[in-house]
Amino acid sequence: MKNTASPRRSWWQGIVFRSLAAVGIVTFLLGGLSSVAIRQTVADQMHLQAIERLGELLDTVESTASVACFASDEQLAREVALGLLRNREVQRVVIFVGGKELARAERATAIVSDPAQAPVRRTLNSPFKKDEAVGEIQLDADWDAIFLHVEKNGRLAILLLMAQLVLVIVGTGGMVFMVVVRPIKATSDRLHRLDATSGKQLRTPDGHEHTEIGRLVDDINELTGRLVTTLNQERELRRQQEIDQRKYYDLFDNASSGIFVADATGRLISWNPAFVALTWLPNPDQVTGDTPRQLADARWANVDQVAALLRCSLAKHAPCGDDLLLKGNRGDDRWLHMAITPLGDGSVQGTITDVTTRKREEISARRLAITDSLTGFANREGLLQEFLEFDLATDQRFALVMIDLDGFKKINDSLGFPVGDKLLLEVAVRIRTAGQPSDFLARIGGDEFVMVLEGEEREELVTPRIAALAEHLAEPYGLEHGQTTALSLSASLGVAFCPRDGSDIPQLLRSAELALNSARQTNSHYYQFFDPTLQTAVEHRRRIEDDLRQAVASQDLYLVFQPIVDIHAGRLVGAEALLRWQHAERGFVSPDVFIPLAEQIGLIGEIGLRVLDQACAQVATWRQGGLDIYVSVNVSGRQIPDELTPEMVVATLQRRGVPPLAIAIEITEGVLMDNVAVAQRWIESLRSAGLRIYLDDFGTGYSSLSYLKRFPMDTVKVDKSFIRDMNADNNDRTLVDAIITMARSLGLKVVAEGIEESSQLDLLREMGCGYGQGYLFSRPIPAADFVVTAARINAELAAWHDTAILSR
Amino acid sequence: MRAFISLLILFLALPLSAAAADLVLIANPKAGIAHLTQDDVTNIYLGRYRRLTSGVTAEPIDLPNESEFKARFYRQLVSKSLPEINAYWSRLIFAGKTQPPQLAGSAEEAVRMVARRPGALAYVERPHADARVVVVFELAN
Repeated sequence: MKNTASPRRSWWQGIVFRSLAAVGIVTFLLGGLSSVAIRQTVADQMHLQAIERLGELLDTVESTASVACFASDEQLAREVALGLLRNREVQRVVIFVGGKELARAERATAIVSDPAQAPVRRTLNSPFKKDEAVGEIQLDADWDAIFLHVEKNGRLAILLLMAQLVLVIVGTGGMVFMVVVRPIKATSDRLHRLDATSGKQLRTPDGHEHTEIGRLVDDINELTGRLVTTLNQERELRRQQEIDQRKYYDLFDNASSGIFVADATGRLISWNPAFVALTWLPNPDQVTGDTPRQLADARWANVDQVAALLRCSLAKHAPCGDDLLLKGNRGDDRWLHMAITPLGDGSVQGTITDVTTRKREEISARRLAITDSLTGFANREGLLQEFLEFDLATDQRFALVMIDLDGFKKINDSLGFPVGDKLLLEVAVRIRTAGQPSDFLARIGGDEFVMVLEGEEREELVTPRIAALAEHLAEPYGLEHGQTTALSLSASLGVAFCPRDGSDIPQLLRSAELALNSARQTNSHYYQFFDPTLQTAVEHRRRIEDDLRQAVASQDLYLVFQPIVDIHAGRLVGAEALLRWQHAERGFVSPDVFIPLAEQIGLIGEIGLRVLDQACAQVATWRQGGLDIYVSVNVSGRQIPDELTPEMVVATLQRRGVPPLAIAIEITEGVLMDNVAVAQRWIESLRSAGLRIYLDDFGTGYSSLSYLKRFPMDTVKVDKSFIRDMNADNNDRTLVDAIITMARSLGLKVVAEGIEESSQLDLLREMGCGYGQGYLFSRPIPAADFVVTAARINAELAAWHDTAILSR
Repeated sequence: MRAFISLLILFLALPLSAAAADLVLIANPKAGIAHLTQDDVTNIYLGRYRRLTSGVTAEPIDLPNESEFKARFYRQLVSKSLPEINAYWSRLIFAGKTQPPQLAGSAEEAVRMVARRPGALAYVERPHADARVVVVFELAN
C-alpha cells in the first residue's frame, strides 16, 4: 500500500497557532478588562488612602489646633496651618473660630484641580470641655499630586499583568506543542511510513502510554489488526471460491447427466459434454460461425413437448420434468428425462438423463399388466384401458361379444388346470380365427372371452358371424392328455352394441353379460343380443331384493299358522308356521318368490332364525293358554348346517321356554342330497336334543326310499299335488297309499298336505294316514285368530268323527 | 513631750483643715462683679478672654506650682493636672501671643494683690478671704 502524499499544511493551520491565538485573544481581552478594573480600583483605593492620610495628619495637630482656637490665638493657629502645609499632598489649610477665619495657609502654585473633591473638615473641641466646639479646621488635598501617584501605580500593575499574560501564552504554546502536537506529528509520520497490511504495529510515543494519544494509537493498532484479519479472510474466501469453481467445472464437465442453460426461447447458452453426447447435437468445436443452437434442434419425436416444458417451468416458476423420446439415426431411439428449472432471470437451467432402460421396462410392465399371459389377448384391464378414452363424440360404433364356456369349470376341476389351459388356448385360437384383424380380443376371466367387433352396429349383419363362432366353439376339442381325449363343451354368447346398449365398456360388459345369462337360461340359442327388457327384469329383481332387506329390518315379514289335525283322534295337534310378506306397495309377495331371493342374497339365515324365534314365542303363548300343540318350522337347505346350528335352535327353545317336542323342523329332500354327511350329523344333533324332523314335499323330488332309511326322520309330509289329484281309483291314490304303507312300515308318521275336500279326508283315513292339513280344516291364519279356529276345528272334527264311526 | 503634742495637733488639724478649707475665687470689690460662673472663671484663667462683664480687664493671679491650692484649683475647675495645665500654657507661650496669669508668691500676697487692684482675681481658701475682697465664685469639691 502506497503512502498518499498528505496535502501541505500552512503553519497557521496547526494546533499550536490555533491554541495560541485562542489563548492570546482570551488573555488580551481579559487583560484589557482587568486593566480598566485595576486602574479604577487603584484610583479608588488611592483616594481613600489619601483621605485617610489627611485624617491622620489632622489627628496629629488636632489638640494644638483646638488650643489655638480656644485661646483664639492666630499665631498658634498659623503655626499649625503651616506645619500641615509641609505635607506634599496638602494644598491649603484654613482654621475657623466661631465662623471666622483664624488662620490660613496655602501653596502659591495651588490650583484646585477638581472642584468635586470636597475638602477634609474637622470640628475642634475645647481642650477643657469635650462637648464644646471651639473651632474648625479645613484641609484641601492636592489631588493632582495624588493622581499622579495613582497613575504611576496603575501603570505598573498593568505592566505586571501583561508580563504575566505573555508568560502564560508562551507557556501554553510550549505545552501544547510538546504534549500534543509533537507526539501527534510523530505518530502521523510513523503512520505514513507504516504498511498496515504487513501487520506491523504503531509505537506509542514515550510518556503517552496512558494519555488520549496513547489510546488513539491503540485504536489505530486495533483497526489495522482488524484490517489485516479482514484481508486474510477475504483472501481465504477468494481462494475457496476458486477451488469451488474448479470443483463445479469438474462436476459439470464430467457429469453423466446432460446439463445446459438456455434462454426463454430455448436458445442454448451453455452445456456440458454429456449434453452433447446424449442429444447427438453437433459438438461446439464442430460448429462453425454462430450457428444458432436451439434445444429444439435435437431430433425429438415430439418437439412440442420441449416447448411445453419450457413454458411450464417459466409460468410456474418451478421445476418441470418429462420423459422425451429422441429419434436415433438408425432406429436406436432413446428416452431422455428432461428437468427444467427457471433461473429467475428468464433463462432456465436443465438436466438430461438417459432413462431408456427404465422407460422400456415401464412399457413392458404396462404391456404385461394389460395382457393375458396364457392367450396373449388383453386382460380385463387391457380391455378397459383400450377403450378408456373412448368417447361417444367420436361416433365410434362396435359390437361387444362376451363368450362364456359352459362346463369349463368341471373340466378344469376333474382333469386339472394344465388341461384347462390347453383347452383355453384352443378356444383362443378358434376365436382368433373367427375374428377379423380389426377385432379386439380379450380374456376377462377364467373362461370368459370378449371380442370387440369394430364398426358393427346391426344385429342382422353380426348374427352370421356370431352363430358361426358359437358353432365352431361347440365342436369337440381334441387334446393331448396322456391319451388323446375329445372334449365337448358349449359356449354361450351375449352381444351388446355400442352406443345402443351402453356408452362405456363396464356398461357394455354388463349388458353383454345379461344377454349371455339369458342365452344360457333359454338353452334355445347359444347366443343372445342384449334386450332392454333383460335390464328391466334385473332391475325388478334388484328392487325386490332391496325391499326384502328392508322388510327383514322393518319386520314386514310375519308368520301365519296352518293347523295340523290328528285324523284318527279327530282333533287339532299342531300347526305349520308359514312366512308371509305383505309389501307396502306390491301387496302380498309369494314365498316362492322371496324365499329363493333371500337364499341368494344371504338373508335366509337371519330370516330363518327369526321365524324359529317367533314360532317358539307363539307356541309358548298357546301352551300357557292351555292349547297343547306343536309348531313345525320350515328350514331351507341354505341354513344347514351353519346358518342354523343345532346349538342355535336349542338356545332359542330355552330362551323362549319351549320344550323340544313342541317344535318340529321341516326339511326337503334337496337338503339331504347336497351333502349327505353334513345333513345327517345336523339331523341327528337335533333329534338327540328332542326335536322332531319332518320331511316336507315328499314325492316331488327323488323320493328315494334309501334316504328315508338313512336319515332318522319322524314324519313324512306327502306333497299336496298328490292329495289334490287323488281320486277313488287312479295312480296318485295308489302312490299315496304306497307312501303311507311304506312310512308306517318304517315307523314314520304321515301328514297329508292340501286336504280340501272331506272325501279326500275319508280316503286318507281309510288308507290309515295319521295326520292332515289343508283348506278343509283351515287356511293359514294369523296367530290372533288361531285359538278360535282351533276350537271350531275340534268341534267339527268331533262331529265328523262321530259320523265316520257311524258310517263304518 | 512638745513634739508629741505638735504631732497630735497636726494629726487633728489636718482632717479639719482639709475638710474645711474650700477654695474660693476672690475679687476686688471695686471690680463691680458679685458673681462669676465656672465658664467665666475657666475662660479668664486659661487666657480665652480677660474682660469682665463690668468692663474691667480681668487680671487673674496664679499661685506657684508648688502651691497645694494651685493643683486643687485647676483640678476642681477643669479636672486637669498641673502638668497638663503647664503643657497648655507652654504651646501658647511658645508659638502664640496669649499670656498666662500673673504669679503671686503666696496666698497672702495674692489676697493683697486683689485688694490692691480692681481687676485682679485670685483663688484662696475661704478663711483667707477677708473683708478687703469679695468671694465671686466657690469651687465645688
